[in-house]
Amino acid sequence: MNSKMIEVVNLKKSYGSNTVLKDISEVVEKGQVICIIGPSGSGKSTFLRCLNVLEQPSDGKVYFEGNELTNISENELNILREKMGMVFQGFNLFPNMNVLENVKLAPMKVKNKTVAEAEKMATGLLEKVGLADKAKQFPSSLSGGQQQRVAIARALAMDPEVMLFDEPTSALDPEMVGEVLKVMRNLADSGMTMIVVTHEMGFAKEVADQVWFMADGYIQEIGTPEEFFKEPKTNRAKEFLDKIL
Amino acid sequence: MNMNILKKMTALLMLALAILFFAPFMQTKAVASESSSSSSSVSSTTDSSLSDVKKKGTLVVGLSADYPPYEFTAKVNGETKYVGIDIEIARKFAKDLGVKLVIKNMDFDSLLVALETHKVDTVISAMNPTSERRKSVDFSNIYYTGGKYIVINKKDKAKYKNKDSFENKTIGAQTGSLEYNLVQKQMKGASVKGLAKLNNLIIALQSGKVAGVLMEEATAKAYVSNNSNLYAFNAKMNVDTNETGAAMAFSKGSTTLVNAANKTISKLKKENVINKKYVPNAAKYMKSTSKNNTMISYWTYFAKGLEYTLIITVISVFFGFLLGIILALMRISNAKILHTLAVMYIEFIRGTPLMVQVMFVYFGIGALIQSLPALAAGIIAVSLNSAAYVAEVIRSGIESIATGQTEAARSLGMNQKQTYRYVVIPQAIKNIWPALGNEFITLIKESSIVSVIGVGDLMYQTQLVQSATYKGVLPLFITMMIYFIVTFTLSKFLNYFEGKMKHEQ
Repeated sequence: MNSKMIEVVNLKKSYGSNTVLKDISEVVEKGQVICIIGPSGSGKSTFLRCLNVLEQPSDGKVYFEGNELTNISENELNILREKMGMVFQGFNLFPNMNVLENVKLAPMKVKNKTVAEAEKMATGLLEKVGLADKAKQFPSSLSGGQQQRVAIARALAMDPEVMLFDEPTSALDPEMVGEVLKVMRNLADSGMTMIVVTHEMGFAKEVADQVWFMADGYIQEIGTPEEFFKEPKTNRAKEFLDKIL
Repeated sequence: MNMNILKKMTALLMLALAILFFAPFMQTKAVASESSSSSSSVSSTTDSSLSDVKKKGTLVVGLSADYPPYEFTAKVNGETKYVGIDIEIARKFAKDLGVKLVIKNMDFDSLLVALETHKVDTVISAMNPTSERRKSVDFSNIYYTGGKYIVINKKDKAKYKNKDSFENKTIGAQTGSLEYNLVQKQMKGASVKGLAKLNNLIIALQSGKVAGVLMEEATAKAYVSNNSNLYAFNAKMNVDTNETGAAMAFSKGSTTLVNAANKTISKLKKENVINKKYVPNAAKYMKSTSKNNTMISYWTYFAKGLEYTLIITVISVFFGFLLGIILALMRISNAKILHTLAVMYIEFIRGTPLMVQVMFVYFGIGALIQSLPALAAGIIAVSLNSAAYVAEVIRSGIESIATGQTEAARSLGMNQKQTYRYVVIPQAIKNIWPALGNEFITLIKESSIVSVIGVGDLMYQTQLVQSATYKGVLPLFITMMIYFIVTFTLSKFLNYFEGKMKHEQ
């Protein structure tokens, strides 16, 4: 199975006596777009953050392209993290740098690109997300939707193999959700492997190859969007869909 | 954790700390063994004090230059000079030895410590050879004897007639002096107030804080002749004549140097030079200063003092900041040893007074590195002190940066060092800029404490002006205004920068 990109084996995560992830084993293949949905507090974000080890799993293993992330040195982990872009709910842009500097910082410092190379690439990415004209502005002068698009460009600047999205539109005003989803849709169309924790059911229906339904620290159900939204197999999923649709 | 640079810097810091803490104890041990060996072999006189002085070619004399007519400062042809009876004796002694004279001016109560830690070769500061002092140092023969006088305000002349008329009153005396003990032991019902500097005691007298000041005869007469509001009378203290005279002090076991001093003293006595020449000379200098005691003519003192204060502050801010960053990173580090070390350092420094730290560095570390100048000691102490406070400011700045910033950087593949260097620290510095500015301003003020070890900062120069002009309050007021103008200008300047940084963002 050479197309395995991420594999999780018996993943568990607890904070003190509170067990958030109980026992998860799953595979993400190259090129797949996965949408993870489920009620809040079900462990979706924690699961995503375990994939690039921003959270250290309590037990179990996480593999990325065959490397066991849960059992390697800090240096090796840093190198593998370059290939796993991440977009956060709160954007987390660096407020002391302008848009262009935000995007080019990591390529210059981590990949040792020259200023010219980094700037050329950053400008290209900003064009791709429709913000080339904002290059010299500071994050605080941008709308939430614009900031999130910069954050996507910043993650793409490291030329990642997979993109992790942690509720990328949850902190946005409704009228700005569309512009961010459009960028994500384009990204999916270009063949990027994506794992998206989201409450945007429309996006999941339209773009996902697989929907993972999480609740109570387990992945309860996996299916194509058609299967899942029309005929959910578990009662837990039915209840959830009844509530939100 | 891959924080190699941090580790290296930490190692250096630990070394410095180790030296700071253990140096003084090592030295104490050495001194102790030295003195015990010398006392057990007095007859064999293997002491090299005299040849040491001759070898280095200088005689370093410690004194407290606020005690006219023995030692004080005067302007001679526009230049500030140490003058007085003791200065002339010191010059004669150095000449007899064939070496150069170097004078170190410091607080009277620091003199014996300076002697024990070999900062000075001898103390010639109108010091009485009391039996208590004899326990820790050796004395030459007495070179001058005067009685003890009480200085009072002239308007109280009728009220205080003798030493017994001060019941329930407070008498001032120099801390660590014979007079201080005499007030306690021989002035019935009077309590004693000790200050380090005589000029401050005179201020206390004039402002009514004390009813009188007990001091040496010649000094009392000098104050009275220069200030028409003062009056002095003989206290007729019952004192051992051996303990009232002035003698030179040497570190224990310097028999050869003491013998050389006695030779010089007996020569002076034989020709009666002190009474015939040195006392009148001192009086002349005192008159010439009192004629010319407008503050304007002392502006060079204040300028020089300000220069030193600023030098100490700027250098200390620089090193305090560097060390503060290291300490802050150690404190938030995951490595338990680094964390604990940093916490211990910070708590210890914040839990002890700067004044004690300054003296500890000068006399403690200075005991190991004898050539450590007071200025360097002051800068080291103030830097070490400032680092602890800066570390806490920086730590709070770092902790104020949202974890999302770190996570974003780490998710881009940056290692911990890059994350701190490019993302966290620049933002933290921006947040703590006002607090750092305050620390800078605080340092300008706090650095005044280095004057206790004789660093020529603004406070120290003020004391010189006080003793040279016999004026207490005015020099203090001028100094206060200088400090205020400097700190106020600086805080306005910092505010401007702060506003500009906010605007840019």
